Amino acid sequence: MIQGKTAVITGCLQGIGRSTLDIFAKSGATIFACSLKKTDEYTFHLSELYQRYNSEIIPVYFDMMDNEAVKSAAREIQRHKKNIDILVNIAGMNHDAMFPMVTMTDMQDTFQVDFFAQIIFSQYIVKLMQRGGNGGSIINTSSISGLDGRAGQLSYASAKSALVAATKTMAIELGPHKIRVNAIAPGMIDTDMYQNVPSEIVSAKVQATQLKRMGKPEEVANTILFLASDLSSHITGQVIRIDGGMGA
Amino acid sequence: MEKLLKGKNAIVTGARKGIGYAIVESFAENGANIWACIRAEDSDFSANVAEMSKKYGVRIKPIYFDLSNEEQIKFAFKEIMQEKVPIDILVNNAGITHRALFQMTSLKTVKEIFEVDFFAPFLFTQMVVKAMLKSKVQGSIINISSTSGLDCDGGRSAYGSAKSALTCFSRVLAEELGLQGIRVNSIAPGITDTSLITLNKEQITQIVSETALKKMGTPKDIANGALFFASDLSSFITGQVLRIDGGLL
Repeated sequence: MIQGKTAVITGCLQGIGRSTLDIFAKSGATIFACSLKKTDEYTFHLSELYQRYNSEIIPVYFDMMDNEAVKSAAREIQRHKKNIDILVNIAGMNHDAMFPMVTMTDMQDTFQVDFFAQIIFSQYIVKLMQRGGNGGSIINTSSISGLDGRAGQLSYASAKSALVAATKTMAIELGPHKIRVNAIAPGMIDTDMYQNVPSEIVSAKVQATQLKRMGKPEEVANTILFLASDLSSHITGQVIRIDGGMGA
Repeated sequence: MEKLLKGKNAIVTGARKGIGYAIVESFAENGANIWACIRAEDSDFSANVAEMSKKYGVRIKPIYFDLSNEEQIKFAFKEIMQEKVPIDILVNNAGITHRALFQMTSLKTVKEIFEVDFFAPFLFTQMVVKAMLKSKVQGSIINISSTSGLDCDGGRSAYGSAKSALTCFSRVLAEELGLQGIRVNSIAPGITDTSLITLNKEQITQIVSETALKKMGTPKDIANGALFFASDLSSFITGQVLRIDGGLL
């Protein structure tokens, strides 16, 4: 579905980003795989992907807390002189705190990673997309928290909500350049994010879904694949909930 | 490309032309066997799907019934059931369109629109769901609604209301059938290049200029969305409405 295309994916170290990396590699895309840091396990995984699917994967490491690092990562990508077709913004952070306890620092950090850095990075990458002249597809990772709100997630939910507004605005502005911009809003996905959540809370939330189960990271990645591919060539400015059904 | 619906069996209504025909083609290309439902026997259609069936190595069977005739719907469904194969996918695509100012819309017309755009898919889905539950498939139901059912545009008091009802119906079904693993989603096409268009050239140009992508949708665009919902690519998605409208933001 995306054979021969070039994609930039952030947050490839684990969870949804890792699954997206795997599925894109399997689908024959060339990938700039962005992550916060290099680990032995990750480096080994990249070489395994290369061996298995023979797809070109270029690792890029940067911290989204640091705008200068975001900028130099974009420059590094640019130096490869490839036309970018797809940008998948997955990297993010979450810091739970109830409303009265939310600190300015929490909010600033969360917005830095979940909103400001995403926009800045997209700005750079869009320039590379426009240079190719073939249009492109951008997928932003919001969250059901950003649409519905959630107790304890004021900073995260607000930043993810801001990302929805940015997605729609970018869709309007970039549409004439044939660049589509959509967002996904994952619900309960079985990743490390839920590792520290008590099991009774997890099972109560699972019961609240219509499919009565947690989602798998690859189910989110498959939707990203759809939005990245030409199957969705007339879809822009949309937010797709991948939440097992929550009546919303 | 890998076949996304390999070995699945699908029912598509309104298959004769436009979006429905594009869905049949896309599903066939992706390995599904299809019951292609149209109003009445049509030799051109039969020839076309026979060719398609050969091309993609799948079975496509035309089924005939009029959506405003309850007896015909029941009879057609029996014909499908006689084959004793599980139904994995249902696409309720058939519909009629209507555009008139509210004051010019007779109750008779509203009833006719609801008959085809809402009551018929309601009844037909009831039958199909019964069969899906019996054969315990992880089914997917896709209702083709319209942006008119979401945006409630002028001139759409009958059509928009019927499509809005269909969207609500989809979400209720998602809630009721989730536990059994049946997913229900709808698609809201925006302005799409089919014979159902009720606008003149200037109106079309105007609406297209309001879309982010500055283009009209094609039946294929809508079919691709239906393919996504029918396939396991969307296995954790239910109760959703996907706008395929080029960005009417």
